[in-house]
Amino acid sequence: MTFQIAHAGHWITSGPFFLPVVAFPIWLGVTESRERRREDR
Amino acid sequence: MFLIAHGISVRSDLPIPEWLFGWAAAMVLVVSFVALAVLWPEPRLQKPTWRPLPGGLGRVLASRPVEIVCGAIGIFLFGLTVYAGLRGTESTTANFAPIFIYVIFWLGLVPLSVLFGDVFRAFNPWRAIGRAVAWVARRAARTELPAPLEYPAWLGRWPAALGIFAFATLELVVSDGDRPDTLAVAALAYSAVTFIGMALYGVERWIDRGEAFSVYFNLFSRLSAVETREGEVGLRRPLSGLPRLDALPGTVALIAVMIGSVSFDGFTGKRPWNSISPDIAQFCQDLGLSPQHALEATFMLGLIGAVLFVAGFYWLGVLGATSVGGGFGARRLAREFAHSLVPIALAYVAAHYFTLLLFQGQAIVYLISDPLGKGADIFGTADTQIDYTLIGANSTWYWQVAFVVAGHVAALMLAHDRALALYADNRKAVRSQYWMLGVMVGFTSLALWLLSSANA
Repeated sequence: MTFQIAHAGHWITSGPFFLPVVAFPIWLGVTESRERRREDR
Repeated sequence: MFLIAHGISVRSDLPIPEWLFGWAAAMVLVVSFVALAVLWPEPRLQKPTWRPLPGGLGRVLASRPVEIVCGAIGIFLFGLTVYAGLRGTESTTANFAPIFIYVIFWLGLVPLSVLFGDVFRAFNPWRAIGRAVAWVARRAARTELPAPLEYPAWLGRWPAALGIFAFATLELVVSDGDRPDTLAVAALAYSAVTFIGMALYGVERWIDRGEAFSVYFNLFSRLSAVETREGEVGLRRPLSGLPRLDALPGTVALIAVMIGSVSFDGFTGKRPWNSISPDIAQFCQDLGLSPQHALEATFMLGLIGAVLFVAGFYWLGVLGATSVGGGFGARRLAREFAHSLVPIALAYVAAHYFTLLLFQGQAIVYLISDPLGKGADIFGTADTQIDYTLIGANSTWYWQVAFVVAGHVAALMLAHDRALALYADNRKAVRSQYWMLGVMVGFTSLALWLLSSANA
C-alpha cells in the first residue's frame, strides 16, 4: 500500500483550516495552568 | 448521482481565502463564549415555557380529524414511493422513489421540523398504520388489548442509532443504494422491523425511542419554537425543547452517527480519501472480496471511522470537562451535554445538503406528474426543468458558513446553559465549557474544511 500521506502538497492546503484546532489546546493549557496557579495562591 | 450535492463548485472572487472564513468562525465562537460567560449568568433554557396557540388554533391543528388526514397522506406517500420503486423506471432521477426518499423526506423534513416542530410525527405512515391497526383490533376484540412489553431501559435510543446508521449505509456505502427497487425493498424491510417493534413495545413507545426517523426528526424539532403538548399545538422559547431531551443510552451514538455520516459524505469528495481508498479497496480485494464488495467494505470502514471520530472527539471534550471537578463522571457529562450536539448536526446537514435540497428538490414538480418515469403527465408538470441558477457558488459558500457558525453558537448556548444548571459554582461551569468550546471549534473547522474546495 502506498499512502500519499508523505506528500505534503496533498495536505498543505488543508492545514490553515485546522490551525484554530491546534491553537486551542495551547491556549487552553496556558489558561488552565494560570487558573491552577491562582487557586494554589 | 447528485453531482451538485455539496455545493463544491467553482467559486470565484471570494474576498478572503476559504480557510480565513474558518478562522473568523472560530473567533465568532470564542467571542460568543466570552459573551455567554459575562451576560448569561443564570440557566434560562432548563425550565419549560409553553403557551398554546391563540384562538383554539392549537387544538384544531392537533385534533383527531387533522391527525387522521395527515396520517392518510403519510401512508399514501409511502405507498406511492414503494410502488414507484418497484414498478417505475430504473432511472434514479426519473423515478419518484429516490428523489422523494433522499431529498424530500430525508432532507426536506429537517427544516420543516426546525420551523414547525415535530411534523413527521403527524405524517409518519408507520405510526398511522400502527394506531389504525390497534384501533381496529380493539374494536374487533371488544376489549382492551394486552399491554405491550416494557421497553428495556438499556435499549434507549440504540435502535434509532442503528436505524440511522443503516440508512446512511444505504445512502453512502451500498453501490446500488439509489436504485428505486433497492429503496422500495429497503422501505418494506424497515416497515417490517418497525411493525415488530411497535407490536412488542407499543406504538408510541417504539415511535419515541426505536423508530429511527421519528427519533431523528424529533431531535431537530426540539430546536423549534413550536411544540405539541397534550393534544394542543403551542409556542415555546426556541432551543428550549433540547434541554428536556431524556439522556437515554444511545443518544450520543445517534448524534455521532448523524454528524459522522454527513462528515463522511463530505470526506469522500476530498483528495485524502480518494488517495487512500483505492489502496484499502485493493487490500479488501486481496482478502478475497469482489471489486464491488471491496469498494463497499472500504466505504463502510470509512463511515464507521467517521462516526467513531466524531464520537471520540466529543468524548475528548467531555473527559477534559471532568478535569475541572464538580464530582461528575465522564459518562454522566457525556449524557448531560449530548443535546448540545443537535444544533451541530443541524448545521452539518444544512450546510452540506441545502443546495441538494434546493436543486434536486425541484425534481418533485415533474415527478408528481410522472412518478413512475414512464411518460405520464398527470398534473401537466412533467416537462418542468430544474433551475440551477437559483443560487451561485459564492452565495452557497456564504450560506454554508452562516449555517455552520449559527449551529455552533446555538450549541455553545445550550452547553453553557446546561453547565450553569449542573455546576454549583459558576466559575467551574464556565471552565468546564472551555473544553466544549474546543469541541465546537473543532467541529466548525472540520465542517468548513469539508465544504471548502481545499483538497477537493
